[in-house]
Amino acid sequence: MEDIWFRLPPGIQDGLVLVALVLPVLALALFLLRGFAPGPLIAALLRRFRWANAVFVALIAISVGMGIGLIAQERGLRVGMAHAADKFDLVVSAPGSEMTMMLASVFLQPSDVPLLSGAVYNEIAGHENVEIAAPLAFGDSYQGASVIGTIADFVPYLSDGRMEGRIWTTPFEAIAGAGAPVDIGESFTPAHGHGDGADGDEHEGVVFTVVGKMARTGTPWDKAILIPVEAVWRVHGLADGHRVSDGDRLGPPFDAALFPGTPAIVVHASALWANYALKSEFSRDRETMAFFPGTILANLYGIMGDLRRAMSLMSVVTQVLVAASVLLGLSILTRLVQRQTAMLRALGAPRRFVVAVIWSYGVTLLVLGTVGGLLVGWGAAELLSRVVTSHTDILVRASLGWSEVHLAAAFLAVTSLLSLVPALAIPRQPITEGLRA
Amino acid sequence: MGLALTVEGLVVLGSDNRPILEVDSFALPRGALVGISGPSGAGKTTLLHAIAGLIQHAQGRVCWEEADLLNLGEDARTRFRADHIGMIFQDFLLFDELGPLANATLTAMFHPRARRAPLRKRAGDLLGQLGLPETPRVVGSFSGGERQRVAIARALAADAPILLADEPTASLHREAADRLIEDLVELARTRGTTLIAVSHDQWLLDRMDRVITVRDGRLASEGAA
Repeated sequence: MEDIWFRLPPGIQDGLVLVALVLPVLALALFLLRGFAPGPLIAALLRRFRWANAVFVALIAISVGMGIGLIAQERGLRVGMAHAADKFDLVVSAPGSEMTMMLASVFLQPSDVPLLSGAVYNEIAGHENVEIAAPLAFGDSYQGASVIGTIADFVPYLSDGRMEGRIWTTPFEAIAGAGAPVDIGESFTPAHGHGDGADGDEHEGVVFTVVGKMARTGTPWDKAILIPVEAVWRVHGLADGHRVSDGDRLGPPFDAALFPGTPAIVVHASALWANYALKSEFSRDRETMAFFPGTILANLYGIMGDLRRAMSLMSVVTQVLVAASVLLGLSILTRLVQRQTAMLRALGAPRRFVVAVIWSYGVTLLVLGTVGGLLVGWGAAELLSRVVTSHTDILVRASLGWSEVHLAAAFLAVTSLLSLVPALAIPRQPITEGLRA
Repeated sequence: MGLALTVEGLVVLGSDNRPILEVDSFALPRGALVGISGPSGAGKTTLLHAIAGLIQHAQGRVCWEEADLLNLGEDARTRFRADHIGMIFQDFLLFDELGPLANATLTAMFHPRARRAPLRKRAGDLLGQLGLPETPRVVGSFSGGERQRVAIARALAADAPILLADEPTASLHREAADRLIEDLVELARTRGTTLIAVSHDQWLLDRMDRVITVRDGRLASEGAA
C-alpha cells in the first residue's frame, strides 16, 4: 500500500490528501442536505446577520491567512536563501565560524576574519579538480553596496554569463550588480568599511569606472560591485599579488610572497564528487577550513524547522481559538432565530432539516472565511516577500502551495465538524418552548 | 377534506409536573370551524399545541381520525404535521429577508421533491387570491395584514386538511383583522379544512361553527358560536 502511495506523482498525492481532508465535510453535507432544498433559508440567515457574518468571515480569514502566510513566507525565504548559495559549492577560509564565513561570503554580511595566505590560494587554484578558485576581498563599500575584490573568472560564473558591457581589463575598472547604485560608464570612489562607520575619505583619489553590469541573480550579490582583487590590495597600500615587473597584470597565478591574503576563497570544482574530496583535503586544523554553504544552511533550516513547527502550532492554536469564538457566536446567533426554527419544526420540518439549515449557515461562513484566508495569506506572503527582498536582497518568492491549501482544508474540515455542535443543540429544544421564546 | 378530531383524557403537565391542562373529552367533525376562547393564561395555546402534537409530555388521546398523536413517536408526529397540519402564529413568524412566495413555500424546502412544484403553484395561487401578487419586495417591508396573509398562504399551501391558528388577528388593526377573518373562513370552508383558531377576537369567534372556552386549564363550556 505504502509502495503504491509513493509511486504516485506528488501532484496526485497532494490532490488525494486534499480530497481526504474535505471528504468528511462533503459526506456530512450530503447526509444532512439529502432531499432538502434549504438554500433560501440559509441566504435569509446570511442577510439577517450580515454585519456579524462579515466580522466572523474577516476573523476567520485573518487567522487562516496569517497562519498560511507565515508558513509560505518561511518556505519562500528558505528557497531564496538556498538559491543565494547556489554558486557557492565550497568555500575555504581560515578556521573559525562556518556560519560567520557563510554569512560573509554568500550573504555579504561584513565581519573581521583572518586571512588565507597566497600559498594556500595557489594550492587550491592549482588543484587538478578546481575550475575556479575566486578570492573574495571584502571591506569597502559605496553608498551601502559592498565593493568586493575578486578575479575576472568569477563574474561570468556568478552571473551565468548574463551581463552587459565587458569584464575589467585594468585594475580600476568595476562590474556592478544589477541593483548596485552605479551604471556602466559611471565612476565612484569606495569608502573604507560599511554602513555608518564607513570612512569616505580613506580612499580619496581612488576612482573606479564601471565597465559592466551583471543581470539580476536574486541574491545579495545583486547589490555588490566587483573589482579586481589586486585593486583592493593596492588601495589599502598592500602588494597586489604580482611582481612589479608584471605591471598591471590581473588575476592568477599570484606570487605567494606578494599575496596579502584573502578572507575566503569560493571554489568551483570540475565535478560534483570532487567537492567532497576538496573539502576533505582543505579541512586542516589551524590552517584552513572548507565547508559547503548548503550544509550550513541545512543546519540552519534544522533550527528554523523547530521554529517553523512552533509557528505552525501557534498558528493552529490561534485558528482554533478564532474558530471557537466563531462557533460560540454562531450558537448565540442561532438562539436569536429559535422561534423561527421552532416554527419550522411545528410545520413539520424534520430535525435533520433544522440541523442542515444551521450547519450549512455556519459552514458557509467558514468556507467564505477560509477562501478569504487563502487570499489574505497570499497577499501577506507577497507583501512580506517584497519587504524581505528589499531588506536582504535575497529574492524571496513566497507562493501558496499544497501545504497551505492542506492547512486551510484541515481548518475547514475540523471547524465544519465542530459546527455540528451548535446545530445539533437547536432542535433538542422543545418546540413549544421555542415558539414562546 | 378535513379530518375529525377526538380528544379523551388529555392531561398536560407543567415543568413542575403539575397538570396545566386537563380535558375529559371533546370531538370535532371533519371540516369543522372551531374557536377556542378564554382568559389569558387559561391554557388555550397549550390545548392548540397538544392538538398539533407539539407537546411531548402529555397523557390521554388526541386522535385525528385513526392517528393518536400522543402515542406516536417524535418523527411520526413530525411527519403527520408536515402532511396534515398547517399553522398560523400570532406574530406571523416569517423570514423578513425573503419574499412572500419564498415564505409561503417554506415547507417545500423539506417536502419530497415531487410535492414541491404543486406546492409552489398552490402558494402562488393563494397569494393571488389573498391580494398579494408577485413582488420583488421582501416581507420585512410588508404591513401586518399583508404579513398575516402570507402566513395564511404558507399554512394552506401544503393543502393540509387541518389548519390551526394561534391568535391570528391579535397583531392586526380592525380593518385588516376583518379582512383576514373573511379570507380565512372562506378558504377553510371552500376547501373543507378543519379550522381550529385560538382567539380573543369576538368577530372571529362569531364566524366559527363552535366555540370551546378554556378556563383554569379545563374546558369551561362548549357550544355553537
